[in-house]
Amino acid sequence: MHIVVCAKRVLDPDGVNGYALWGRLKVDDSGRAFDTGGTVAQIINAYDEQALEAALRMRDAGAECRITVVTVGGEDAGDVLKRCVAMGADHAIHVVDSEARADGFRVAAIVAALVRDLGDVDLVLCGRQGSDYDQGTLPGALAEALDAALVTMAAGVAVDGDTAIQVRRAVPNGEEVVRAQLPAVVSVSNELGQARYPSSRGMLAARRTPPERRAASDLLAGREPGGVELVQLVVPDVQGHCEIVDGADAAAKAAGLMARLRERGLLHA
Amino acid sequence: MPEHVLVLINVSPGATLRDADREALGAARALAAARGVPVACALIGHEVAAAAAEAAERGADRVLTADAPSLVPFAGERFLPVAADAIRVAEARIVLVPRGPDLLEFVPRLAARLDGASVIGVVAVRAEEGDVTAVATAFGGAAHAVYRFRAPGPRVLALAPAVAEAPERVAGRTVTPEPLTVSDVLPRVEVVTPAAPLEGPRLEDARVVVSGGRGLGAADRYALIRELAAALGGMAGASRAIVDDAWASPAQQVGLTGKIVTPDLYFAIGISGASQHMAGCSNARCLVAVNTDPQAPIFRYAHYGIVGDCLEVLPELIRIAGQSGEPKA
Ligand SMILES: Cc1cc2nc3c(=O)[nH]c(=O)nc-3n(C[C@H](O)[C@H](O)[C@H](O)COP(=O)(O)OP(=O)(O)OC[C@H]3O[C@@H](n4cnc5c(N)ncnc54)[C@H](O)[C@@H]3O)c2cc1C
Repeated sequence: MHIVVCAKRVLDPDGVNGYALWGRLKVDDSGRAFDTGGTVAQIINAYDEQALEAALRMRDAGAECRITVVTVGGEDAGDVLKRCVAMGADHAIHVVDSEARADGFRVAAIVAALVRDLGDVDLVLCGRQGSDYDQGTLPGALAEALDAALVTMAAGVAVDGDTAIQVRRAVPNGEEVVRAQLPAVVSVSNELGQARYPSSRGMLAARRTPPERRAASDLLAGREPGGVELVQLVVPDVQGHCEIVDGADAAAKAAGLMARLRERGLLHA
Repeated sequence: MPEHVLVLINVSPGATLRDADREALGAARALAAARGVPVACALIGHEVAAAAAEAAERGADRVLTADAPSLVPFAGERFLPVAADAIRVAEARIVLVPRGPDLLEFVPRLAARLDGASVIGVVAVRAEEGDVTAVATAFGGAAHAVYRFRAPGPRVLALAPAVAEAPERVAGRTVTPEPLTVSDVLPRVEVVTPAAPLEGPRLEDARVVVSGGRGLGAADRYALIRELAAALGGMAGASRAIVDDAWASPAQQVGLTGKIVTPDLYFAIGISGASQHMAGCSNARCLVAVNTDPQAPIFRYAHYGIVGDCLEVLPELIRIAGQSGEPKA
């Protein structure tokens, strides 16, 4: 079985939180990026890392499979692939495209073209969404382009015979198990659990195996697909009108708070 | 049929509209007015008559229904062709989808099927030069991203909470529902083991939510959160940090990747106020924070705060809540 895993790099969300939490997040002159003076690292989207982990666990469980990681993006977007190979992916492909940015529909068209070109792909695993734009466009748009089954919110994936997979899904009231026909696109959620760390042997392998480079323009053969264009980032104002309820001790503070909530009709007298 | 702004609603059997559906109708009316077109509402599910009647009373000019047992429970591959049919019938350029648990399963795929594009988590829609731009949350809510559309097909917008007010209900306003096509779909995804049925109240509907975070310090102290929630007639929630550590169950997670709650009263106890958490609770009518750190970001969002150790404050809150008689229903 040939599994393709889609991975992209994002600004480290903890780094962005670090700025946002203290009200110091600013947008730079381009209007489309944060002004963090380069202090926030670009890392692999955690959900994508978990998608790769799902593939590696299928292999650990005895599935005979080849795992190819794919990223679409500008010249330096390929960084994340090294980590993926070090984790255990067999092969890495960087599709160079400077247009894609925040447009999951364009990325889906490019990945679909690549998957068709590879010819033998049975399963595509993606993260449920990017932790940057939170859109979750790729899995659905890709499944449509490939006319494949779509399963979202996976917490575990296993092969089921030659033509199907079983997927454990995180749903609002717990978990369900579904059986999906191949070819399929599966998006993986954090319920899958912690991804493995690269081994030192893996890191050596990653150094020896540079990613294969492909040009998006070749794959698209003259088409210019596009869904959305990010025109601006804005940091919203936070309403900061907190009344701190003080008192001599915890009991007094609690009483003061409850009295105010009762006054506002939020509790019954 | 000329162009309509379309609201696409997935209806549970026999249900009326949910708050999220009503807000979407409100947003649709504003956009429809700006574009000079009417509003259509598609109600997809089984036993949708009550929801269809309410949609008409809340201002839908055309009501499209798909009413079939095969549409329940929700499955993306069965919902999708019906939704696509609704867009075609309504000649919709703008499609609004209320928030719900299944967005990722059908919104982007629906847009792709019709050569359109989607944006999820939309906090504002601006009508501009015959088109729209969508403002959506990004980076877990730390930022808003403004998107223009490049795709030729429909713009499918999944709305965040409180984008618009629910339109007034005009009793007696009726619209004759027009049936949509429900075609047979060869299923490619089948449920082998269903989840336990949804029982009891849902966190999303609770009027009071008490959430705990890592500041509780240890798993067993989550019991205090449950106690306060019970004493206030509410439900217990949690930050992802303590769901990941298994102090609370995934069903209790509030936030970007958990539940979005809109209670009258929300307690964030020992929670720092990361944007991904706030994405799930910032539309509470009143937000209360308890935190030892007076600089904690949660106080930027809270209406009332107590600076103090939650292990001291919680027992007092529980005691007072227990004394104050029946909680608000
Ligand atoms: C892609 C992505 C998605 C995410 N989705 C979610 C989500 O859906 N929901 C979510 O909640 N998070 C989510 N997160 C995680 C989020 O960024 C934060 O890490 C998380 O919300 C922090 O949880 P916390 O506030 O419980 O813990 P912390 O950030 O560790 O905060 C603990 C707080 O407790 C206070 N405290 C310590 N001791 C006490 C005491 N004795 N009494 C009172 N207060 C005390 C501290 O001052 C601190 O403010 C997501 C992150 C990413 C990257």
